[in-house]
Amino acid sequence: MLPAILFLLNKEVGAKPKIKGRSFKLLKNKNVLLLMLVAVFLVFGVFGCGGPATPPADEDAGEEPAAEFEGEVLLGIMVPTTGSEASDGGDMENAALLAVEEINAAGGVLGHKIVTSTGDDGCDPSKATAAASKLISEEVFSVVGGYCSGATLPTLKLYGDAGIPFVIAASNATTLIDENPGWAFMINSTGDAQAAKALEWFEGLGVETISLVDDGSAFSVDLKDQTKAAWEAAGYAVLTEDRVETGTQDFSAVVTKIMDAGPDAVYWTAYQGLGALLIMQLRQNGYEGIIMVGDGSSAQELIDLAGPDAEGVYCTAPPKVDFLPAAQDFISGYKEMFPREPGAYAGLMRDATYLLVDAVERAGSFDGEAIKAALAATDSFEGLSGPVEFTPQNTLNRSNFVIIVAKDGKWALAE
Amino acid sequence: MTFWEIFLQQLFNGLLIGSFYGLVAIGYSMVYGIIKLLNFAHADIYMSGAFVGLITLSLFANTFVGNAWLGIVLSLLISMLLVGMLGVLIQRVAYRPMLKAPRLSILITALAVSMLLYNTVMLLTQGQYKPFRTGLTHDSFFVGPLRLTETRVVLLVAAIALMIILHLFITRTMYGKAMRAISLDRDTCQLMGINVFQIVAITFFVGSALAAAAGIMAGVYYGTVHFYMGFLIGLKAFTSAVIGGIGIIPGAMLGGLLLGLLESFSTQIPFVGTVWKDVFSFVFLILFLLFRPTGILGRAESERM
Repeated sequence: MLPAILFLLNKEVGAKPKIKGRSFKLLKNKNVLLLMLVAVFLVFGVFGCGGPATPPADEDAGEEPAAEFEGEVLLGIMVPTTGSEASDGGDMENAALLAVEEINAAGGVLGHKIVTSTGDDGCDPSKATAAASKLISEEVFSVVGGYCSGATLPTLKLYGDAGIPFVIAASNATTLIDENPGWAFMINSTGDAQAAKALEWFEGLGVETISLVDDGSAFSVDLKDQTKAAWEAAGYAVLTEDRVETGTQDFSAVVTKIMDAGPDAVYWTAYQGLGALLIMQLRQNGYEGIIMVGDGSSAQELIDLAGPDAEGVYCTAPPKVDFLPAAQDFISGYKEMFPREPGAYAGLMRDATYLLVDAVERAGSFDGEAIKAALAATDSFEGLSGPVEFTPQNTLNRSNFVIIVAKDGKWALAE
Repeated sequence: MTFWEIFLQQLFNGLLIGSFYGLVAIGYSMVYGIIKLLNFAHADIYMSGAFVGLITLSLFANTFVGNAWLGIVLSLLISMLLVGMLGVLIQRVAYRPMLKAPRLSILITALAVSMLLYNTVMLLTQGQYKPFRTGLTHDSFFVGPLRLTETRVVLLVAAIALMIILHLFITRTMYGKAMRAISLDRDTCQLMGINVFQIVAITFFVGSALAAAAGIMAGVYYGTVHFYMGFLIGLKAFTSAVIGGIGIIPGAMLGGLLLGLLESFSTQIPFVGTVWKDVFSFVFLILFLLFRPTGILGRAESERM
């Protein structure tokens, strides 16, 4: 990469001095400019987190297919590998590549070797449309991926029209359900499932009254509203609903209100930074009830920040591989192949890839219609994140959220 | 809890947060009083103070195992000194050369300094919250119906003590007298042989040191620090300074306490709650300023400081 940029720069700088005028004086000194740019480049190399460390694996170029394969089939991967969500997207691509390698090592699917092609949706609807068109024109037999719901949305019709089955690993907005022409299958629980999980867990703990706290972000307010609706529909009471501002540190007024109301449990629906502050201030003011936080606070950072006060805090979390006992082999395999942690959605992406291969084997062909029918008929497929079965709307028929609990300074599965 | 128990508890909450606002507001007010600058960087000095405190405290982590407060006080003093000098440095580099320039130019350099501090800390911490571990326990005790912890009482007393010391400094020392004189008429002071630049530097030192103290106290109290922590409190402290009458130091303290109490009590009002508390307090403040545009202690032609 660096030599290529230097080469381009050299060309640029070489062309400039032809322009007359004093303002270009600085540019004439090629060496100084080059050194400065190299320095800037190096600095960004050090500070920036760097792009996702994916191997250049669009096609397994140079590797001859092993003799026992009858041929190759092309699997499409659609994830954001650039843009703001490139980190999670890169994890998902890696997980799919790892799964494909394992499947090929075990003899491929229906005697065929799987090769992959990645379409970058950039977490952007227009880029996603382009990525989908690219994958369709390459004649992939199926697509796995889908991270940002907004980017996934416009591709559903494209894949549907082309007759290409699409297993959606992460996107889970409820709007996807309405736009789905029937060719897409969502293996991540939709938004309302988290509230249902929280309700189920509170009931199991014998909680009857709760207080809800959000930070005003659309995501946290939505979770709060869903929880409130589910909780009240079940016949229980929400004692207080409060909001804290992002950037604030002082929750004492909220905490005093909660202490006054005296709920059995407090549910925080936003992110870990403020969540840690809320937990500490609740405990410091003598709150001894149950505290639960939403998936936005499921990072280890919450426990690191809140320290001993975090002990015993529950969290409704997405099925991250770290918490799944079945995923230990996957994690070590992942770390061996890629120099990074698997991230939140790698497990789901791996499940999506295996599910698709399973469906192809059950269908007995690479025909789109046959695969679609096989996917719809999926019967307790065992993924890392639990069994997969679909509703008539092609969504997961259960909540795949898990309850984790802070124990000895780490998240651990509570169930 | 009965009405009075909640009232007392919210009163204490409001006083504590209000005294933090007050400590930061003093810095805004002092600088405005003496060079008529809205020092946007002040909120970031508060934040820098918290981080310097975090570093110095971690240096003492193993020295004072038995007595957490000793380590905190020592790191508080060192950080106040260091951040005070940072304030002087900022003043020397970014503000002093601009004193004769139009007022808007110096406002822009203040913004630039703010961005510089904010982004530097963001880069160094990678935007993460950092735990501020003090080793203090939070065993609480009751005074009547009021639930208190040692930390909260000490912090409130310390904040008020700092304000009183500052008040004495301004009213009883020659430096304080010089500051007040400069805020009245800088040019005349210069003619009278007062070293104006030196006094301006001292003003920045004192204001920044107080902000650093507030930053560390916030770290001790809340348990985490973050590059973003100065933004909101900076806004509110500035508001406090205006309500109190900008340029008037006791006004900044009163303004801070008033805002803290308003916020704390408005959460208890039905239909206002925590969602609307800021709207409520700021509407109240707008009305207040409509009737008293110069703030609590401000008079149309008052002596600033």
